[in-house]
Amino acid sequence: MASHYEAPIREPLVTGEKSYHDVTVDVAAPVEGRANKQWWIVFSIALVAFLWGIGCIIYTISTGIGVWGLNKTVGWAWDITNFVWWVGIGHAGTLISAVLLLFRQKWRMAVNRSAEAMTIFSVVQAGLFPIIHMGRPWLAYWVLPIPNQFGSLWVNFNSPLLWDVFAISTYLSVSLVFWWTGLLPDFAMLRDRAVKPFQKKIYSLLSFGWTGRAKDWQRFEEVSLVLAGLATPLVLSVHTIVSFDFATSVIPGWHSTIYPPYFVAGAIFSGFAMVLTLLIIMRKVSNLEDYITRAHIEYMNKVILLTGGIVSVAYITEFFIAWYSGSNYEDYTYLSIGAATGPYWWAFWALIICNFVVPQTLWIKKLRRNFMWSFIVSIIINIGMWFERFDIIVINLSKGHLPSSWSMFSPTFVDIGIFLGTIGFFFVLFLLYARTFPVIAQAEVKTILKSSGERYKRLRDSGNSLVGTAADHRTSDIAEVTKETSSEKLVIDAEKQEHLIASLGRFNPEEDKADDLKKIDGIGPVMENTLNQIGIYTYEQVSRMSEKEYNLLDAITGKFPGRAQRDDWAGQAKNLIK
Amino acid sequence: MRVFVKIGIVLGMAAMAVSCQNKSTPNYQYMPNMYEPVGYETYQETDAFRNGKEGQLPVEGTVARGHIPYDYPNTLEGYSEAKVNLRNPLPFDAYRNADSTVTEDYLRKGEDLFNIYCAVCHGEKGNGKGILVDREKILGVPSYDDAGRAITEGSVYHVIRYGLNSMGSYANQLNEEERWQVTEYVMTLKADLESK
Repeated sequence: MASHYEAPIREPLVTGEKSYHDVTVDVAAPVEGRANKQWWIVFSIALVAFLWGIGCIIYTISTGIGVWGLNKTVGWAWDITNFVWWVGIGHAGTLISAVLLLFRQKWRMAVNRSAEAMTIFSVVQAGLFPIIHMGRPWLAYWVLPIPNQFGSLWVNFNSPLLWDVFAISTYLSVSLVFWWTGLLPDFAMLRDRAVKPFQKKIYSLLSFGWTGRAKDWQRFEEVSLVLAGLATPLVLSVHTIVSFDFATSVIPGWHSTIYPPYFVAGAIFSGFAMVLTLLIIMRKVSNLEDYITRAHIEYMNKVILLTGGIVSVAYITEFFIAWYSGSNYEDYTYLSIGAATGPYWWAFWALIICNFVVPQTLWIKKLRRNFMWSFIVSIIINIGMWFERFDIIVINLSKGHLPSSWSMFSPTFVDIGIFLGTIGFFFVLFLLYARTFPVIAQAEVKTILKSSGERYKRLRDSGNSLVGTAADHRTSDIAEVTKETSSEKLVIDAEKQEHLIASLGRFNPEEDKADDLKKIDGIGPVMENTLNQIGIYTYEQVSRMSEKEYNLLDAITGKFPGRAQRDDWAGQAKNLIK
Repeated sequence: MRVFVKIGIVLGMAAMAVSCQNKSTPNYQYMPNMYEPVGYETYQETDAFRNGKEGQLPVEGTVARGHIPYDYPNTLEGYSEAKVNLRNPLPFDAYRNADSTVTEDYLRKGEDLFNIYCAVCHGEKGNGKGILVDREKILGVPSYDDAGRAITEGSVYHVIRYGLNSMGSYANQLNEEERWQVTEYVMTLKADLESK
């Protein structure tokens, strides 16, 4: 019996007969392989959307906000809708990596890397909107309390829009640091596996010289825990602050104390939906089915069900309070009769169906564990959550206190183009990420392999010992492997060899030290091996080579005639001796 | 050490960028959104009018609200007439004494204005020995107690309004009330000089 106790009721989190090396190989495969045609097609589409979005942004900034569909009544519409939507999507990443870490959820390990990447990339999208929806974005730096020549004119710290600046920028930077810290061991893994010098260089830069010593790991764990502890209140506060943009106003339908928790729940709801959308595809295209399993999908669906339930309760609360308050203005606002039957009825019902009705199907275990249905539901939730933000912003603004100010909003192609552009930008970043970053935190997955891997669970359940089971013949039996390959080497002409060694000097293994002959340009590992077999080990020997010796060497090896002379091994060896 | 070199390079570039300012021309501006007026500023040049100036002359004979035309003509007859007939209308209750004469405050304002506009030639005592006369930049400034001139309230006002001989008009510098304040102060200077 193994000493470890793991409840047999738990589903395995890594399926298949995976060893540590398998995890490495599987995670590194998409990075080390080449992009296939589909990747290029999708990437091109995303890039085109991104460029189109950039065009729309440039058009907006150079021409003016008037190219959007905003009017004097509805001053915020798609811009802030998309901002809140993207920020919300970003929240799942931090939730997965921070909150689930605090709750010791092992299943987070296969999804946290991509979820955090999604956070970073969607917060970048969100960060665009506060800038580009400004009338004069080139003065955006005025939101920062920088000492200046206007008599040190300061910002007013009473505005939630300023809090947004601090919240979003802090959120992005902390998420980035958290993400990158977790990436260090994985980048180091890619660095150590890299064959081409360029890749090696890049990943050595990215991995910050991670060597994986015990002390490093100990501090790594502490930092992760501290950052998780910091990121958790950050997740809650960032979207709370975003919700304050509305909740602190006097607009009927916006002024509501339920917004902070309700927005956060909605953020996690939409964020998890986006994680599902991405991971269901990613597990297929990156061949990670053994790591992102049906169980992971189910767990995420359960979180969606929970947060979707919270959001639904919030809808009902809003509806109830709108009636209970007795305020006439509330009748025309969000989630009240006016919204349901007014000119934006379609947006309202899209919200109810997408967020309230469809996710309830996840109560059924069969649907919750179904990849196809999870994918469809996740997309529906993303749409529904977009409508939620749109409804909150536009419906409430379009019918305010004064009937003479009532107005409708309809977007222009620029509104839509910028939104599509951010989606394109998001996928450009995510697709590049999926090809260059280790999309699964392999270092973390390796920590749960023996406790939650299917193979080990099976061994443990059947009462077998796990001793030695992690051994992988590809990594553990190196000596054997090299013996095999080196035994099929060339047969050396003894007479010629004697001739050559006589003129180069004999290598005495007891006194002399072998040099790294690979440093000589033109000598690779194979050639070095061959030279060693002949009896050439040192620069000293190589440096004595002249035309006669070169010819002898060529005659012995029979490979690359004239190569040694062309590369001037002797000259190089002389330089190396110095 | 190499770090300091890099910092030095960056600071040097910044210094070079900053030193691009030329003191003899206006400095570079960052996004001058509302620096140039859309409307017409008072003294600006403009192509809207034929003489290229924003300040255009009013139509001859119009009377602006709050202004009363001065009826004495700019002639010797006008001067003589003003000398005899023109009196300070003193329409301001604040500066009127019980006997309808001017107050200390009124004269003090007159003194301030006199020292700004008049004393440079006429001298602070009104004796025709201003700083420009001292330095011999101009000559022939008479004293206020010059018997041959026998200035009166009306003649002083008239001269400030139109100028006389070498003296130019001060109607541009002083409005009607200020002209009367200076006039009253000049009369006190005259009285001082005569009583000496």
